[in-house]
Amino acid sequence: MGLLQQILGWFTQAGHWSGPEGLPVRLLEHLEYSLLSTVAAALIGLPIGLYIGHTGRGAFLAINLSGFGRALPTVGLVTLVFLVSGLSIWPVYVALVVLAVPAIVTNAYAGMAGVEPELRDAARGMGMTGWQRLWQVEVPVALPLILTGVRLAAVQVVATATIAAYVSFGGLGRYLFDGLAQRDLPQVLAGAIAVAVLAVVTDLCLAALQRTLLPRGLRLRRAAAT
Amino acid sequence: MRTLSTIAGLAALALTVTACGGGATTLAEPSAGSGAPTAANTIVIGTANFTENVTLGHVYAGLLKSKGYEVTVKPNLGSREVIFPALQSGDIDMLPEYQGSLLLHLDKAGKAADGDAQAAELKAKLPAGLKLLPYAPAQDKTIWMVTRATADKHGLKSLDDLKKVTGQLVYGGPPEDKTRRIGLVGLKEVYGTEFKTFRALDAGGPLTKAALRKGDIDLANIFSSDAEISANDWVGLEDPQRLQPDENVAPLVREQKADAKLTAAMAELNAKLTTEELIKMNHKTDVEKEDPEDVANAWLKAVGLVS
Repeated sequence: MGLLQQILGWFTQAGHWSGPEGLPVRLLEHLEYSLLSTVAAALIGLPIGLYIGHTGRGAFLAINLSGFGRALPTVGLVTLVFLVSGLSIWPVYVALVVLAVPAIVTNAYAGMAGVEPELRDAARGMGMTGWQRLWQVEVPVALPLILTGVRLAAVQVVATATIAAYVSFGGLGRYLFDGLAQRDLPQVLAGAIAVAVLAVVTDLCLAALQRTLLPRGLRLRRAAAT
Repeated sequence: MRTLSTIAGLAALALTVTACGGGATTLAEPSAGSGAPTAANTIVIGTANFTENVTLGHVYAGLLKSKGYEVTVKPNLGSREVIFPALQSGDIDMLPEYQGSLLLHLDKAGKAADGDAQAAELKAKLPAGLKLLPYAPAQDKTIWMVTRATADKHGLKSLDDLKKVTGQLVYGGPPEDKTRRIGLVGLKEVYGTEFKTFRALDAGGPLTKAALRKGDIDLANIFSSDAEISANDWVGLEDPQRLQPDENVAPLVREQKADAKLTAAMAELNAKLTTEELIKMNHKTDVEKEDPEDVANAWLKAVGLVS
């Protein structure tokens, strides 16, 4: 009970809601790191996923490289890039993008691979070009999985962007690193709660976005299937 | 030794926050006290989770083995918060400690700054059943350091000189420096200095050292026993007001193991264990990446403690 009250006390303290170290600023910083990393990862990962899904080439390499990216310890990667680049925000972005790309690539690829061969054949038979087949048939059908990949990546990035604080930058991770170092448990837990809430909210928002972006035809097909 | 807490914190973070494993040196839970009485000539040595402490543990072990003890080393147990209970419950019998930090751990208001005063104060404050043996000259304390170029440019010799450049330097240290007396708070209070910014990095670890090397920070918190200091020609600023207390290495032992034979053996070690020797060992483990146990045994032979 004591700890719960301490955490509550932390959140209700006015000083924690204003100034350069207050929650709103830390939250914005956290969102900035997360958003930029996810967008960059999507710009890298989507073309790769769509390309190997469309052509069927390079799947083995891409999927294995993705697995490798997933297995890399993020803190280790941040440290490594830091030692090369020095004190800058780049190590954080590099690590977060490396973390986010695999989910985006593998899901885009899986979505494309799941497009029924009959559909592809029909599109080809109608005389559609490669680009037309990609954008008008394959991508719309694969869209649910493609978006799931982006959503997974975004949630992972939000939960991991705390490492920005490891190399002296801001974001919600500041509370975790400072709190741990200063043996200030309420601060650590408040930060952890804030990150967890943000990750869940991100997931819910993207899930809603995913529903609205779903093509009408797919929605009808899903409704018919159930 | 702030590393005791910080490294454990970071290891914990690496696991919990980023879920990215690699935690070979995480907070090992001390197993529930077995309570089994151990024979007088068996000793279990525990160490904290950073290389120097592991090496020291092996130094203790090698020396005691040569005296006929049956020794087990449990390296990388974690931070002081983890090791202390293990020592009290009898899971381990002995560990290499640092007097200044140990005193602050037991008593936040502990003021003793030099080794003798600390030893006396610790004697009164240690929990029953634990005994601190006499300390070695070797010290591992934080020193505020600047690069040679910065020192020359601003004429910096001591922390007192920082007043001349108040508001101009970037200071990098572990996150706890923000709220600690041996950190921003004390630097301001005792030496009246302010910085342009404070960068929260690590406790004298790779981040801080890389940032200092590259000039991203001007002043850094580095451990006196770090082998990279001389390699980079960094300049330690004098601390005339004794903001940073002494940090002599001393064995903390369960009282029932601390007989005359053990005390005599450790006294022999103290005669040889200086900061310079500690730096040499750290150089072997940190820069040349040798195994701490090998380094410890080679050192014992080199200084003639073990034949």
